[in-house]
Amino acid sequence: MCADARPASPTASLYIHVPFCRSKCGYCAFFSEPLREGAQDAYLPLLLDEMALWAQRLGRLTVPTVFFGGGTPSLLQPEHLARIMEALRQHFDLAPDAEISMEANPESASPDFLRAARALGVNRLSLGVQSFRDEELALLGRPHTARQAAEALARARAAGFTNLGLDLIWGLPGQREGQWLESLRRAVELAPEHLSCYGLTLEPGTPLAEAPEEQRQLPPERELAHMYVHTGELLEDAGYMQYEISNYAHLGQACRHNQACWEGRDYLGLGPAAASTLGHLRSTNPESLSAWAELVRTRRIGLHQRETLTPEIRASERLMLALRTSKGLDLAEYRALSGHNLLSRHKSIIQALRQKELIRIHQGRLRLTRTGMLVSNSIIRALGFE
Amino acid sequence: MTDTNFIRNFSIIAHIDHGKSTLADRILELTGVVSARDQKAQYLDKMDLERERGITIKAQAVRIPYTARDGQKYILNLIDTPGHVDFSYEVSRSLAACEGALLVVDASQGVEAQTLANVYLALDNDLEVVPVLNKIDLPSAEPERVAREIEEVIGLDCTDPALVSAKSGLGVADLIERVITHLPPPKGDAAAPLKALIFDSWYDTYLGVVVLFRVLDGTIKKGEKIRIFSSGKDFEVMRLGVFSPENIEMPDFGPGEVGFLCANMKELSDAPVGDTITKAENPTKTPFPGFKKVKPMVFSGLYPVEPNEYEMLKVALEKLQLNDAAFSFEPETSKALGFGFRCGFLGLLHIEIIQERLEREFQARLITTAPSVIYKVKTLDGRELQIDNPSLLPDPSNIAELHEPYAKVEIHVPNDYVGNVLGLCEEKRGIQKDMKYLTASRVVITYEMPFAEIMYDFFDKLKSTTKGYASLDYEIVDYRQSDLVRLDILINTEAVDAFSVIVHRDSAYKFGRSLAEKLKKSIPRQMFEVIIQAAIGNKIIAKERVAPFRKDVIAKCYGGDITRKRKLLEKQKEGKRRMRRMGNVEIPQDAFLAVLKAGSDD
Repeated sequence: MCADARPASPTASLYIHVPFCRSKCGYCAFFSEPLREGAQDAYLPLLLDEMALWAQRLGRLTVPTVFFGGGTPSLLQPEHLARIMEALRQHFDLAPDAEISMEANPESASPDFLRAARALGVNRLSLGVQSFRDEELALLGRPHTARQAAEALARARAAGFTNLGLDLIWGLPGQREGQWLESLRRAVELAPEHLSCYGLTLEPGTPLAEAPEEQRQLPPERELAHMYVHTGELLEDAGYMQYEISNYAHLGQACRHNQACWEGRDYLGLGPAAASTLGHLRSTNPESLSAWAELVRTRRIGLHQRETLTPEIRASERLMLALRTSKGLDLAEYRALSGHNLLSRHKSIIQALRQKELIRIHQGRLRLTRTGMLVSNSIIRALGFE
Repeated sequence: MTDTNFIRNFSIIAHIDHGKSTLADRILELTGVVSARDQKAQYLDKMDLERERGITIKAQAVRIPYTARDGQKYILNLIDTPGHVDFSYEVSRSLAACEGALLVVDASQGVEAQTLANVYLALDNDLEVVPVLNKIDLPSAEPERVAREIEEVIGLDCTDPALVSAKSGLGVADLIERVITHLPPPKGDAAAPLKALIFDSWYDTYLGVVVLFRVLDGTIKKGEKIRIFSSGKDFEVMRLGVFSPENIEMPDFGPGEVGFLCANMKELSDAPVGDTITKAENPTKTPFPGFKKVKPMVFSGLYPVEPNEYEMLKVALEKLQLNDAAFSFEPETSKALGFGFRCGFLGLLHIEIIQERLEREFQARLITTAPSVIYKVKTLDGRELQIDNPSLLPDPSNIAELHEPYAKVEIHVPNDYVGNVLGLCEEKRGIQKDMKYLTASRVVITYEMPFAEIMYDFFDKLKSTTKGYASLDYEIVDYRQSDLVRLDILINTEAVDAFSVIVHRDSAYKFGRSLAEKLKKSIPRQMFEVIIQAAIGNKIIAKERVAPFRKDVIAKCYGGDITRKRKLLEKQKEGKRRMRRMGNVEIPQDAFLAVLKAGSDD
C-alpha cells in the first residue's frame, strides 16, 4: 500500500526514538513517557515489528548512520539494545564504517550499560550535560549534578568511547554571559570530541515556558548575541570547528547522522514521534505510545501525518537546512531544485547581507557568517520562502 | 397617485448601535412589507460592509403601505440616511426629502454625538422630530433620565416620548400610529411644473443609473421626457417604481411621493444627489434649493502591494467609481511605490470604506498613502499649480505663494465642553467666527480653519475632548495663503515620496519629530538597521533608529523538526505579506498612515 514511498536512493539514515525518561526536564518538548515497569518489554517487539515492516516495504537499505535519540536511550536494558542491533543487522545493510550514535544521560549511563553499548557497536555517545553549574541544572529540572556529568564522561572513556559529545544549553533565565562561559570552559577541559550548544527556547507547553514570569525571563537579546558569538570564538580557539548553528566538533568528528539530514538525504525514523523523509514523502509517527503501537499492529506505519514534499517545499527546506551549516548552500544544486537563481532573484538583499557580513559567497556556495547564523531565520525567510 | 394627506415621509436618526436598523426591520415586519421569516437581518443596510460597521453608506427608501387603526390606508416612505460627517451632504438631501424623523436613542445610553449632527440637520430642514426611546426592556434602561437629557441637550420636547423595544417589537405598533398622527403630510401642487429632488443615485449593471427622488410639485409618468436642472440634459423615463422592499413598477407619481426611476443614464454624474428633476416640456424655473456638486476633497495614493496587481486594482477602481460619484482616481507613479493611483475622497472615513471594499470585494492588497488636501501654488515663474500630492510641491525657492483650503466649521456642543473645543480649534490654527447659545446649555461654535487640520485627527480629538457630545459639520469656504513647508521622510537616507506631507511652518518641527517617532513604532525590527529621518529641505530635523534583530534563530532542527520549523518560518513570512519592500527595508501598510497620528501624543 505504500509502494510510492520508495526512497530516492537505497540509502537512508536510521533514527530510533526511545521514548522513556526517569523524569521530564523543564525545558524539554520531545516526546517521552515516565519509565514504568514493563514499558520497555512492550516497546521492544513493536519497534522490531516496525523495522521489519519498513524493510519489507523498502527492501534492504544501506544504512550509513544510526542515531538513538529520546527520551533517554541510555535507559534501555542492554539485552534490549542487543535485540535492536541484531534486528538492525538482519534487516538492513549496516555500512562497515557506520556511525552509531546514542544519546545518554549522565545519571543513567552506568559502566555496565556503557560497556555493553560499546560492545554492541555504538561508537558515538552524546551526553546530555546541559550545564556545569548545579543551580542551573536544578532550574532545568535535570536529575544530575555537574560532578556526576564529569564522572559519566570518564566512565564513557573507560568503556572505550573515543567519539564523545556533550550537549549544553545557554541563555537560561537569569544567566549572565560569564556564567555560561564558565560552563563552556569546564566542558572544554573535559576534552570531548563534539559539543552541541543550544540557545534555550521556551517551547510552549513545557513547564519552564509556563513558569512564573520572573523564572522564565531570558537574558536580554544583546547578551544572548554576545553569548553566541563568544561561544563560537572560544570553541574555535580550543580546536572545535563550528559546522552548524549549534554544533561544534574536532575535525572529522562532526555527527554524520545529523549532517545527512541537513544535506537533505533520506532518513527513516522508528518509534513514537519519529519522522521519516523518503524521497518526496515525509511521515511522522504519533506522539503517543498507544497510537504508535496501533499503527504498527495494523501495518499503517508511515501513513500518519504524511506530507508530500512538493518541489517548492523541497527547495525551501533545502535552503533552510543548508544555511544552518557552515558548508552552506550549493547554489547550482539549489537552482536545479528551485528553478531559479538565488543570487539574481534577491540581488539587492544579498548585496546588503554581504556588505553587513551576514553571508559569504565563495566557490558556488552561500553560507552564513556567525552573526548571520544568529539571525538566520530572517535571512532564510528573505531568501527562501516565496 | 396618492393623496398627499395619506403620505408620510420620514427617516430614522440614531447613533450606531442604538437600534436604527432593528427598528426599521421591525416596522417593515409589523406592516407586513417583509415577513419575519425571509427577512435578512437589517434589511435596509444592503452592503455587507454597512452591516458589519453598523453604518449606512448609501441611502435607501422603502415604501410601506399601511392601514391605520381608524381603517384609513396610508403610504409611509421610510428614507434611510448615511451616518457620518463625510457624507453629511447626502444626509441633508435625504432628510430634505422627509417631513419628519424618528430620533432613536438607546434608553440606557442616552444621547450621543453622532446622533446630534443628524438631529441638527433634521431641524435645519424643518423636520418634525419624534423622540423614540429604544431598548426600554433592558434592566439598565433609564427612560426618564434620557428623556430629560434629550430635552436639555437637543432642546426637543420630550414629555411624551415613544417607548419601544425594537428587538422584541414592544411599542413599535404604537410608534407607527404616531408617525401618522405626529408627522405632517407633505405639501405640493400637482398642477405646477415638475420639481423633484434627487436624494440618491447609484449604478446598476443591468439598469444603468437608478435615481431615488421625492416629488415636490407636479407629476411624473413613465415615458415622459425629464430634464436634470443643473445640466439641462434630457432623458426619457424608462422605468418608474418603488422599493417595497423589492422593486415594484408604478405608472406615475404626484407631490409628496417617493420612488425610483431609470432613464438610460450612463453615468452617476447624469443624476447628481441634490439636483432637481423637472420636465423637458414646461420646466420649473426654481430648482429645489441647496444643490451642490460633491467633489473629492481629500487625496491619497492607492498602490498595489505587489506591483503586478496594478491592472487588477485599476479594474476594481473603475467598478467602484461607477457607484460613487464622490470618488475619483487617476494614475500616478511614486519613486518608492511604483505605479499606483491618486484617488480623491470626501474624507477619511470615505477612504477607509473604499479601501475596505477594495480589499473585500476585489481581494486587492493595498498600500494607502497619507491623505492630502489640494494646495494651490503660484510659482515665481508665473505658473499656477494645484497640488494634491505633497511630493509634487515645487522647490521652495520657486514658490511665490502657497494657498490652502479653509473650511467653515460648525460645532454643536453642550456648554460644559466649550473651553475644550475652543482650545482644540485654536491649536488647529482656527479663527473664531461666532459662538452662540441655542439654549442655556447648548452652544454653536463657528470657526474657520485649514481643512488639512480637520482632515487629520480633528474629529477624533473633538470626540475625546467632549466625551463624544460635540457634533461637527464643515464646508470648504475658500483658499488662503499660508506659511507651509513640505516635510520629507528619509528611510536609510533615501527620501520616500509617499511619506511627504505639507505642514505649517510653526508646527513643522514638532510634527516631524512626532512623525519619525510614530514611524519608528510602526516599522518592525528587521535584518537591517532602519534609520528614519524627517527633513525640511536639506535640513534634518528628527532622527529615529529601528535596531536590527540581534538574535532570530532556531536552535535545533533535526529530522523530526523540519516540517514544524518550515511552517513556522512560512507563517512568519506570511505576516510580512502586507509589507512593502523598499531597498532592504520592509515597511508595513500602517506606517504610511502614521502621519494621521503624528499630531497626537500617544
